[in-house]
Amino acid sequence: MRRRRSWLVFTLLFGLSLALVAAALVFAVPRANAAPDAAPLAVGVSNEYCLECHGKPDQIKTLPNGETLYLTIDPALWAASVHGAGGYACVQCHTDITAYPHPESKAQGRRDVTLQLYPTCKQCHSGNYERTLDSVHQQSLDKALQGAPGGNKNAAVCADCHNPHYQTRLTNPDTREILSDAHVQIPQTCARCHSAIYDQYKESVHGKALLEFINPDVPTCIDCHGVHNIQNPTTEAFRVSSPQLCARCHTDPARMDKYGISTQVLNTYLADFHGTTVTLFQKQAPDQITNKPVCVDCHGIHNISRPDDPQKGLQVKENLLKTCQKCHPDATTNFPDAWLSHYVPSPEKNPLVYYVNLFYRIFIPTVIGGMVIFVAGDIYRRLFKRGKGAA
Amino acid sequence: MNTTNTYRRFALSQRVEHVVMLVSFITLAVTGLPQKYAAAAWADAMIKFFGGIETARIIHRYAATVLMLVAVYHFTAVAYRVVVRRVRMTMLPTVQDARDALQTFLFNIGLAKQRPQMGRYTFEEKVEYWSLIWGTVVMIVTGFMMWNPIAAARFFPGQFIPAAKAAHGGEALLAVLAIIIWHMWSVHLRRFNKSMWTGRLTEGEMLHEHPLELADVKAGVAERPVDAPTLRKRQQAFLPAAGVFSVALLAGLYFFVTFEQTAIITLPPTPAVQVFAPQTPTPLPPTATPRPVGDLTWEGYVGTLFADKCSTCHGTAAGLSFATYNDALAGSTNGPVIVPGDAVGSTLIAVQSAGGHPGQLSADELAKVKEWIDASAP
Repeated sequence: MRRRRSWLVFTLLFGLSLALVAAALVFAVPRANAAPDAAPLAVGVSNEYCLECHGKPDQIKTLPNGETLYLTIDPALWAASVHGAGGYACVQCHTDITAYPHPESKAQGRRDVTLQLYPTCKQCHSGNYERTLDSVHQQSLDKALQGAPGGNKNAAVCADCHNPHYQTRLTNPDTREILSDAHVQIPQTCARCHSAIYDQYKESVHGKALLEFINPDVPTCIDCHGVHNIQNPTTEAFRVSSPQLCARCHTDPARMDKYGISTQVLNTYLADFHGTTVTLFQKQAPDQITNKPVCVDCHGIHNISRPDDPQKGLQVKENLLKTCQKCHPDATTNFPDAWLSHYVPSPEKNPLVYYVNLFYRIFIPTVIGGMVIFVAGDIYRRLFKRGKGAA
Repeated sequence: MNTTNTYRRFALSQRVEHVVMLVSFITLAVTGLPQKYAAAAWADAMIKFFGGIETARIIHRYAATVLMLVAVYHFTAVAYRVVVRRVRMTMLPTVQDARDALQTFLFNIGLAKQRPQMGRYTFEEKVEYWSLIWGTVVMIVTGFMMWNPIAAARFFPGQFIPAAKAAHGGEALLAVLAIIIWHMWSVHLRRFNKSMWTGRLTEGEMLHEHPLELADVKAGVAERPVDAPTLRKRQQAFLPAAGVFSVALLAGLYFFVTFEQTAIITLPPTPAVQVFAPQTPTPLPPTATPRPVGDLTWEGYVGTLFADKCSTCHGTAAGLSFATYNDALAGSTNGPVIVPGDAVGSTLIAVQSAGGHPGQLSADELAKVKEWIDASAP
């Protein structure tokens, strides 16, 4: 009898304790900062000594492969640069040079000169130098130097982006925040090698805001790709995690409210079939290819346009249909409405979905509640009124 | 009361049907609910267990196909029992069921003296059966829309598809909760009713749960025996019709599961943007300004050229100076660098021809200097 009762109590508890647990992933993205570890040194060879020759215009050296190397340093620009203003000496970086004549250089061309010199940056900027070692640029460079396919000797090293002689300050030394002038320089810097992408970016909603209106709220290249440890953006892992990248800004009300942009774009995406699938892939098999779209598959990557853009904006139904047809070639006019366009269902937007959800929000508790009450009555009867009535 | 007497409750075919259905139902629930709650850790673990979301979806669709096959079979089997064997339609809900439910509840809480006496199917069983019918219909209709969204959007507004997804998920939750609460309680926990497995109930169980049916059985009115010729006649009418109908349903089912290739399998190629597209380099190094060429003499050309290109260093360096014509011809601490009339033998030409000297002369300039030396350096 006792055993039976405990079973009944257990059942009651079991029936009432159906709870569903949700977990949220929190992303913390550390920010990399350039912090020089070394101070100007008192050194034997003064900058004036070097500039006696290198301050002269048209100091040109012809390298063995026929390329010319421009050796003139503009003393005024140098003095205005972050290194010049900091009082650093030429020979702190050009450590092999102690006097004239200079030691023989083995560089065959201009690229060799850069590649031989840039590791000198790590003397002071070891943190960022090491970050670059993990970058897609370094991987490409390593491949090229090993003669492996897919490499490129022109893959950026420190000095390609930061002209060591003329680079002015990029960040506020106190807050470490990027200066507003520097914001604009970022895409232009990347454009030196990625000009085709830059051409798309500058026409995009982000690029226009940055380059025409100097708006610091929009992403530059590094906000999505990172700075020194830039990862290969063509991997599947990067693709499936990219919605989180967009979400960093697009779920931030402080940034979005100014422009009246919804911050529901991520959770509405995740609630949809596409987003749910992509998230599961991201968590469980980030390297496996999935054909479900991420933000950029519909909105574009570097050429993202305003949603109301007549040619490409996804608020325009024909444009949305064309976008759907990229993956659903047989889709017809009604089909794009199957996607809720980032709106949370409400009586105004997507009412049918709203009312179906509302129906089940009422119907499920009603039915299950009725069943629970009925079963509870039965349990009550069996626990406390045994033997009474015709049982 | 005879407790050894047993009564047949479910035929073997019904029991097999139940097993197939429960396997497909559970499979659908365990592969489907994690999709509804995909963000939750438990759902993540379950999906991983099934081998990832794509595999879980495939399993879900196989189980759905099995459930639909069961539905087609059930429909045909019920039609046979009703049309051919003319059994009593004891599963139909009646007003009496509502009264029984109310009375049972009042009895449980002590407000009625008697439990109601019920027949072959109690109101609890009818609730469960008709819930299953309703649920299966909703799931098949909404499932079709999700399985074939492009086809569905040809006939319905696009919003029907996310609405179908919402209904599919709501209905699934309702079904699973109902099974856990209603079914588990009624036939597993309250008293383990094994008749769906053994096919039989004891007389005691019959008396307790289905007293009216037991009375009918004892009175000989529970079944309506059909004589063989009538049965054959009805079968002859029923079987072709049922056959056609079943084939139509099965064809519909085949259409359902194979009709649409919703999306392309492979990703669309990303629009070709050349990743490495260096800008035309700014014309660094700026080309040296061509010097005005006068007579090919020290005054006319060479002196100015040396002053410009060499004097930065060679005021003193290596003891060599190009300040005046005489200084230039005097040479360095290591000897003369210009041998008038012998350009090839001149150190200056040797050094500059090797290239890479600071203040490097251009090829054109060097040629002129050579010419000047060969002309005895006027």
